[in-house]
Amino acid sequence: MNISVELVEDNLQVKAVLKGEIDAFTAPILREKLADIQLRENLQIELDLVGVSYMDSTGLGVFVGFYKSVIASNSHMKLTGLSSRLKRLFDITGLGEIMDIQAMSEEVKIDETV
Amino acid sequence: MNLRSSVDIITEWDIVAARQLGRNEAKEVGFGTVDQARITTAISELARNIYLYAGKGNIEIKQIAEGNLKGLLVIASDKGPGIPDVRKVMEDGYTTSGGLGAGLPGVKRLMDEFKIDTVVGEGTTISATKWLR
Amino acid sequence: MPQEFKRQYKEILEQYTLRQTEHNLYEGQNFSKQLIQKNISPEEVISIHKASLEEIIPDLPEDVSHSFDLLIEVMIRYGLALKEHQTLIKKQENIKMEMELAANVQQTLLKTKVPEMSGLDIGMISVPVKEMNGDYAHFLSDETSVGIAVADVIGKGIPAALCMSMIKYGMDSLSGAKTDPIIVLDVVNRIVEKSVSDSMFISMFYGRYETTESMFTYASAGHEPPLFYSAKNNEFTELQAKGLLLGVIPNVKYEQHSIVLEKGDFIVIMTDGVTECRSKEGFIEQKKVMEIIESVKEESAQSMVEYVFHKLEELQDFEQRDDFTLVIFKKM
Repeated sequence: MNISVELVEDNLQVKAVLKGEIDAFTAPILREKLADIQLRENLQIELDLVGVSYMDSTGLGVFVGFYKSVIASNSHMKLTGLSSRLKRLFDITGLGEIMDIQAMSEEVKIDETV
Repeated sequence: MNLRSSVDIITEWDIVAARQLGRNEAKEVGFGTVDQARITTAISELARNIYLYAGKGNIEIKQIAEGNLKGLLVIASDKGPGIPDVRKVMEDGYTTSGGLGAGLPGVKRLMDEFKIDTVVGEGTTISATKWLR
Repeated sequence: MPQEFKRQYKEILEQYTLRQTEHNLYEGQNFSKQLIQKNISPEEVISIHKASLEEIIPDLPEDVSHSFDLLIEVMIRYGLALKEHQTLIKKQENIKMEMELAANVQQTLLKTKVPEMSGLDIGMISVPVKEMNGDYAHFLSDETSVGIAVADVIGKGIPAALCMSMIKYGMDSLSGAKTDPIIVLDVVNRIVEKSVSDSMFISMFYGRYETTESMFTYASAGHEPPLFYSAKNNEFTELQAKGLLLGVIPNVKYEQHSIVLEKGDFIVIMTDGVTECRSKEGFIEQKKVMEIIESVKEESAQSMVEYVFHKLEELQDFEQRDDFTLVIFKKM
């Protein structure tokens, strides 16, 4: 079980590409990596979760914590590329309502349900 | 009786000099091979700490006596950064030098008495005594 | 040097140098037990060996004799590591004992009695993965209504267990079993939001069943939706209710819904320890969970929850990964 985070920063844009599984073991690593992002006003953060194959509630906790600090610093955070399983996790927990979330593109979703 | 001698710890080689001094004194007091090895290991550990964390310092070795009891006192002193959390460094399983079973808890175990005085920003003095039984 | 040990060791060594039998070696092995029990360190053992050997073989070559001094030096750290190990084991035992005590306190604190209601069969199982349970199930009841709270704190172990007491505190401040589910969630959320750290949260489901109308009213704070089984249609549906997890923001609008139960209908409330079961082949799908439940739908609610737990345990090769809580309300 592993997680890798690749950060690309460009002025007020940050993109983080996450790959791997997010569980009780890898969540602290992810939390640390996200803490590297220097939050400031109007910063646009995109967290790309296409490569995330599994996430449990501990992982969700990392995003909640990060979300709170993002809001506090007047930055913006967007989650992209969620698989249907991940999307469901955000929907059930009501986090989908308060966070900016984009699931994987439609074609991919259709493929998954077949 | 109060014989004293000391070694300045500046380079890694001085650790060996401190050990040698400690062993000679320990032999003189009459310690057996095992206790000699324990005393020198403790000296090694203290000298190494000075070398690694304070940069330089001093190891002093004194033959001491209390009534009929003879012993050896090792004093390691430096003007280094000091130890902010003594309780933590004295805890088993906490080793900053990465050595298993050593560090300051190890020194305490090897010797009979152990005392540590440290002030952050000013330095550290550690006294450890071994009695001949 | 402990003279008694030296005498014994010398005897064993002397015999061995003469005969080299398995029996001699066996004696040596037994002797080591005594040494360990009496805390004789490795460097001392070598020193005993050296001294004994010098007595047994008076013309022992000097270089051989010296070699033991090096070995003594080498073994000092083993001795230290051994002592450190022993202290750590003692410490661990203490911690374990404290944990057991804490788990007992928690169990007493969170004790809940499954109420007996006319016309309703209730089953409950809650199994922690470690000593302390991060899941919470609590009943409130009077003559005609029964409330059920099922909550899951993120994470496991002690932090999760401590967090549980907050929910308990919130629940105790309620006026009774007739309280509306959205009020329950709102009260608990306000308490939790004020007290938890940033990446901590709790999912919670609250449902209330009224025997007079056979009606189940419920609300959810980001909790896994319960399953509703309709006997007439022979199918499961999810009881959806929008609502954010507890502890994220202070003012949350929760949805409240109601459903009327017919004879044989039942509701399955669970934590993600149930839905996130992973077997060797991957996740155990919700469909599989439904199949398992359906296969025992004629049993009592208590036998049902126990069967589901054992079946899922089996599918996971008896390796429980998360706290597991399952509650069934079945209309008789």
